[in-house]
Amino acid sequence: MSFNTSWLSRLGLFVGVCLLASGLYLIDYTPTVMSQETTNEDAETRAETAQTEPESNSPGYCLICHENSSQTFSLADGSVHPVGVDLDALAGSVHGEGNEEGALACADCHEGVAFPHNDPLPETDRAYTVSRSINCTSCHEEQTENLADGVHYSALIDGNLRAASCVDCHGGHDVQPVDEPVWASSQACGDCHTTTFTEFRDSVHGEALFDDDANAPVCTECHGVHGIQHPTTALFRNRSPELCATCHADEDLMAEYDISTNVFDSYLSDFHGSTVAIFNQTAPNVPTNKAVCYDCHGVHNITPADDDKSQVVRENLLITCQQCHPGATTDFPESWVGHFEPTVESHPFLFLVDLFYDVLIPITLGGFAILISTDIFRRLRKRLSGKGD
Amino acid sequence: MSEPATNTETTKDYIVRFTRMQRVEHLLLIVSFTGLAITGLPQRYAETELGIRSIEAMGGIESIRILHRIFAVMLTAGSIYHGGVLTYNIFVKRARLDMLPNFGDVRDVIQWTLYNLGLRKEHPKLPRYNFIEKAEYLAVVWGTVIMIITGFMLWNPVLTAEFLPGSFIPAALAAHSAEAFLAVAAIILWHMYHVILKQINPSMFTGKMSREAMEEEHAGELELIDEGRLPQPPSEDVLRKRTRVFIPYATVVTIILVGLLIRFVTVETTAIETVPRVVSTSDADAALTVSADDGDIDAGAAHWQELPCSTCHGSDASGLPGALNIALAGTSLDFEVFVQRVRSGPADMPAYPRSEISDQQLADLYVWLQSLDRP
Repeated sequence: MSFNTSWLSRLGLFVGVCLLASGLYLIDYTPTVMSQETTNEDAETRAETAQTEPESNSPGYCLICHENSSQTFSLADGSVHPVGVDLDALAGSVHGEGNEEGALACADCHEGVAFPHNDPLPETDRAYTVSRSINCTSCHEEQTENLADGVHYSALIDGNLRAASCVDCHGGHDVQPVDEPVWASSQACGDCHTTTFTEFRDSVHGEALFDDDANAPVCTECHGVHGIQHPTTALFRNRSPELCATCHADEDLMAEYDISTNVFDSYLSDFHGSTVAIFNQTAPNVPTNKAVCYDCHGVHNITPADDDKSQVVRENLLITCQQCHPGATTDFPESWVGHFEPTVESHPFLFLVDLFYDVLIPITLGGFAILISTDIFRRLRKRLSGKGD
Repeated sequence: MSEPATNTETTKDYIVRFTRMQRVEHLLLIVSFTGLAITGLPQRYAETELGIRSIEAMGGIESIRILHRIFAVMLTAGSIYHGGVLTYNIFVKRARLDMLPNFGDVRDVIQWTLYNLGLRKEHPKLPRYNFIEKAEYLAVVWGTVIMIITGFMLWNPVLTAEFLPGSFIPAALAAHSAEAFLAVAAIILWHMYHVILKQINPSMFTGKMSREAMEEEHAGELELIDEGRLPQPPSEDVLRKRTRVFIPYATVVTIILVGLLIRFVTVETTAIETVPRVVSTSDADAALTVSADDGDIDAGAAHWQELPCSTCHGSDASGLPGALNIALAGTSLDFEVFVQRVRSGPADMPAYPRSEISDQQLADLYVWLQSLDRP
C-alpha cells in the first residue's frame, strides 16, 4: 500500500508539474531563442568533435557547453538565464563530493535530457523554476509524498506559480543541508514569508535560533516540513496547545531554560484549556473561540512571559484579555488562575471554596449514609426475624 | 411552608398532601435539575471516556453549554415562582413555616436512629414535613442559590469582575462544580432512598398519601388531622383583603426579578459568541490596496532613482551585465505578479515589505517600467 501511495503521489506531482509547465507553454508559445545566433550550430560541432571522449551521460559531456559558460537563454517573459553551472557550488553541495552515494552526475537529476535540446522551454521564468522540481522527485520519494499533502503543492496545482517548489527552499545546484547552520531552513521560509519571518526573528524563539541554539524551534517544527498544513484551520488551532507542549511539557528540555513544565497541565485544568481539549476529542475540525497558547502569548512574535513587551506580562494582560472579552475591566485578568499551582496566598477564595467543599461533601453525604444505614439495618432485621412492624 | 391541602378532599384511606401547582412545580424541578445534571456533569468529568461520549452524544461542548443554560433559565424561573408562592403563604395565608428545621427535628433524628438500632420501642411521630424532607428542601434551596449565583458569575465573567475581585471567578467555577456533585449525590443517596428504595412514595405525583404511609412518615400530622386540630386557614374575606395588598408588591418584585433574569441571560455574550481570531498575514499574501491604473509615470521614474532597484536592474531598468541580468524595462509581467516578486524577493533579490516600498510606489514604478521600450 505504502508503495502505491508513494508512487501515486509522485506520479501526481509529476503529472501536475508537467501539465502546468506544458499548459503555460501551449497557451501562448513563442519560440525561445538562444541568445547567440550561432549557439546551436557551435554546440553541435563541439559535441561532435568531443563525442568520442566522455560518455554521453557523464558530467563531462554536458560540461562541454555548461561549464562556467557565459551563454544565456531567454524565455518569452523576458527573463534571461545563464546556461553555465557553477561547478564549485555543485561539488560543495549535498549532491557533490561529500554525498554518501557518490557525487551525482548531471543526468541523475536532469533525467531524460538529451542533446541536442529540442524540448520546448516553458514560457516564463517561474514556470521553468517550478518545472525543475521534477528532478528531485525520483530520489526523494518520501519528501515528494509528504509534499503532496502540503499547502505549497496544492497552491501550485491550483495554478499559483508563486508557491514554493523544491529549489525555492533548498537551492538548485548549490543545495545545502537544511540544518547547517540550525536556522538555515527558517531563513529559507523567510525569503517569501518576510513579515512573519521578521516577527519570528525578534521573538524569544527566533533570537535563540539565530544564536545557534539547536533546541530552538525552526519554522518546520511547528508547521511541518513538506506536508505543511494551513495554520489557520480549526484543526491546527485545536491541536496547537499539544504542539507547544511537545517542547514545553518536556522536563529535560525545559530544565535547560528554567521554564516550568506545568504550563500544559495547568492550561488543561483551566476553562479555556479544558474546552479546547474537549473540541480536540469530539470535534477537532470545528473552530473554537476559547483561547489557545498563542492567543495570549503571541504567535511568531512570542516573547518571554516576563518581558516588558510580552502580551502576558501583568501590565499588558488586560489588553490581551480584551481581544476576546472586549468589555473586560482592570480586575478581569485576575480570573485567570495562571500556570502555577494555586496557593492560599495567590488564590485565597479558590482555596477557601475547595476547603469548604472538602469538608461539606463528606459530612453531608457521610451523615446521610449513616442515617440511611440505620434504616436499612432495621428493615433487614425486621425481614429476617419475620416480624411485622 | 406550602399551604396544607384542603381537608375536605381527604378521605378515610388517603390524606391529600399536595396541591396541583405544587406537583407541577416539582415536575418542573425534576426536568430542570435532571437537565442541568445531564448537561453539567459531563463537563465536570470531561477527561473521562463517559464524559466525552456524553458531550459528543449531546452535540458537542458548545451545544451542551447552550442546553445547560436553557435548563438554568428554567430552574431560575421556577425559583422565582417558588419565592412568590412562599411570600404569598407567609404574608397572605400567614401559614406556619413548617419547612424550617427546629429542635423537634433534632429530637426526631435521635429517636428515629435509636428506633432503627432497636434501642427504642416506638417510631417517633413525625410532623407534616419530617426531618428527611426538611433536609432535602434545605439542600435544594441552598444548592439552587449557590448554583444561580456562581452560574451567573461564570456566564457573565466580565460583568462579575467589574464589581467583584476577578479571582472570585475561578472560585465560582470550583464551587459550581463541587456543589453540582454534592447536589446530584445527595439527591441519589437521600431522596431516592427515601422515596423509591425504602418504599415507593408517589404522593408528589398523585398528591395523595395513604393512611398507612402517613402513620410511618407523618404520624404527628395524621393525629392533628384526625383530631381536627389543624390550624384553620383564614376566612375568605381576610384572604381577599390581604391578597389585594399583596398583588401590587408581588407584581413589582416579579417584574424586577424577571427583568434581572433576562438581563442575566443577555447582558454578556463573550462566553458564548465566537470572536473572530486575528491571524497574522504575510505581505506576500496581503490584499493589494491599489491597481496599475493608480500609477503615475513621472513618480515612478523618481522612485527608481531613490529606491535600491537600480542597483541590480540598472539605472534605465535595462538590466546590468552579470549572471542574473534581469531587465525590467517594458515588462510583460502582470501588475499582481510584479508586486508579488517585489514583496517575496525571488532568488537572490531581497524582499521589500510595504514598510520599504508602498503599494502606491509599486504602481508608479510599474507604469513607468511599462512605458519604457524593451532593451
